[in-house]
Amino acid sequence: MPWNDNAGPGPWGSPPPGDDKNDGGRNKSDPGRRPSGPPGVPPPPIDVSELVERVTERLRATFGGPGRGKAVMLGAGAVVGLWLLTGAYVVQPNQQGVVSTFGAYSRTSDPGLRYHLPWPVESVERVPVTSIQTLDIGGVPGAEVPAERLMLTGDENIVDLSFTVQWRVSDAGKYVFNVREPNGVLKDVAESAMREVVGKTALTPILTNGRGQVETQTRVLMQQVLDRYDIGVYIEGVRIQVANAPQPVVDAFRDVQRAAQNAQSAANVARGEAAQVIQQAKGYREQVVREAAGDAARFNQVYDQYKLAPAVTRERLYIETMQRVLANSNKVIVDNKGANAPVILPSDTFRSRAPAPTAAPAATDGVAR
Amino acid sequence: MSRPANTPLIAAGVAAVGALILVSTTVYKVDQRQQALVVRFGDPVAVVTTPGLHLKTPIDNVLRFDKRNIDLSANQEEVTAADQQKLVVDAFVRYRISDTRQFFRALGRESVARDRLDRIVNAALREQIGRADSGDVIAGKRAQIMAAIREEVARQVEASNLGIQIIDVRIKRADLPEPNQQAVYERMQTARKQEAAELRAIGDQQRKEIVATAYEEAEKIRGEADAQRAQLFASSFGRDPSFAAFYRSMQAYEQSMGRGDTTFVLSPDSDYFKYFQKGPGG
Repeated sequence: MPWNDNAGPGPWGSPPPGDDKNDGGRNKSDPGRRPSGPPGVPPPPIDVSELVERVTERLRATFGGPGRGKAVMLGAGAVVGLWLLTGAYVVQPNQQGVVSTFGAYSRTSDPGLRYHLPWPVESVERVPVTSIQTLDIGGVPGAEVPAERLMLTGDENIVDLSFTVQWRVSDAGKYVFNVREPNGVLKDVAESAMREVVGKTALTPILTNGRGQVETQTRVLMQQVLDRYDIGVYIEGVRIQVANAPQPVVDAFRDVQRAAQNAQSAANVARGEAAQVIQQAKGYREQVVREAAGDAARFNQVYDQYKLAPAVTRERLYIETMQRVLANSNKVIVDNKGANAPVILPSDTFRSRAPAPTAAPAATDGVAR
Repeated sequence: MSRPANTPLIAAGVAAVGALILVSTTVYKVDQRQQALVVRFGDPVAVVTTPGLHLKTPIDNVLRFDKRNIDLSANQEEVTAADQQKLVVDAFVRYRISDTRQFFRALGRESVARDRLDRIVNAALREQIGRADSGDVIAGKRAQIMAAIREEVARQVEASNLGIQIIDVRIKRADLPEPNQQAVYERMQTARKQEAAELRAIGDQQRKEIVATAYEEAEKIRGEADAQRAQLFASSFGRDPSFAAFYRSMQAYEQSMGRGDTTFVLSPDSDYFKYFQKGPGG
């Protein structure tokens, strides 16, 4: 792995000249140590052959001219320079780099073009830190994991629940070094925390308005546990994706919803009827009172006139009424004085006349309504 | 390329090779994630927990162990709670090799450690859950029960001197076995049916209540109207009951008999015919 890390940047990474000089300078104290580095001597075979060549060159130079020595030094410098170049690496904007020196954590580097001492001294691991990662528990739609979804609730019901955990690395060093398989830990902790919280909550709130609370409690609990593990992870949020009654009882739950709807609509219909009944009664009141008031007012008027001339008015009212009544009716006048014989009426006598128009109100003080 | 020149060259080569061998047998690297045990002929002579480069003698052997928080998922177990309810429990343990030397002596390898821990955890699970009611395991006291299991496991690990430190034991799942699950489903169904029936009954009751209340109010309004009417008539007709009776009769005659469907058999003796019979002197 560190091999890969170093091989990558080598060819294209061109560190600033200052860097080069710096390390070139530092290198002068090193060369003795470098070939003595642990076995599997550095990278490619070219290096090895060059090393051999360099040694022979130097030996030759000892006995040869000073010009040769210069060439040898140049060649060696180039090799060392190439080796140093392999320490350059890039940390992407959403990452941090964790640098180890001989396996020991030494520093965390921020995004940009960075440098570490080349293999085998230092190596780097890049960890995404700012990007929020998601973990789905219970599967995603279409690929559910029933064993992860069915949970016992506090009132000993079963709920079918899937959720997502959003998390990010808050401390790259801890995340890399403290826990084995951090992603597996997250999943275990998420499941156990959610089940613990659901186990304390009744079914109905989980299905209806208590989801937010379950999410918050799970998030807090997860964070507590993970902090105890010192894993360097921050839980951004826990989101319940689906919370349903389990498949075998879904119909029964739907029926409850239907019943609630039915009750609601029955009440609505009843309210409509009630409004109608009351409206009708109010109409009745209006009608009855107004008519009575009208009748009374009319009577009062007539009565006032009547008092001025009682006999005349009475007589007149009688005759006018009779006139209107009889004008509209069939009439048979029988003088029954001394007429004991039965009266035979023509068969059409009792046929009603053409339906008379409703008696028009009398022009003046008639009594017709 | 003269003879005397070759001798130091060979010497230098031999020295370099010798140095390489020396370095490779005496210098070793310990990763940040690891701790090492230096073993000399099977005898652990040194524990190295600081990462980096270290020195040893060429005869020593270096064994590396994980220093991290390690996971162990216990097998799913069917456990009987105090109320005889069976539960399928799934737990996980997190531990750390705290004493490498002791770990090496007592267990040697991680796989052995897993077996030992698994047994200890299972025993602790059974014991602690066996003391609690299933409801408490699922709900109320889960946290306490987990803490008790954690303590129990930690105590036993400590007593067995395994060189392991228990970080956490958590119950992941505590589910009912399949047949009991079916029973729960049935109970949920019947509970829902009851709820639905109740809701419908409430709806019915509400409907009746609303209609009846409306009827009550409507009748009150009607009564109010009738009363007002009576009062109006009393105050006007009451001024002269005899005339009112006459007036009202006239109205009634006209309304009941003046519609054209009545046939009158009249006697010419009636007042109406007074003049009809007797002439203007009547």
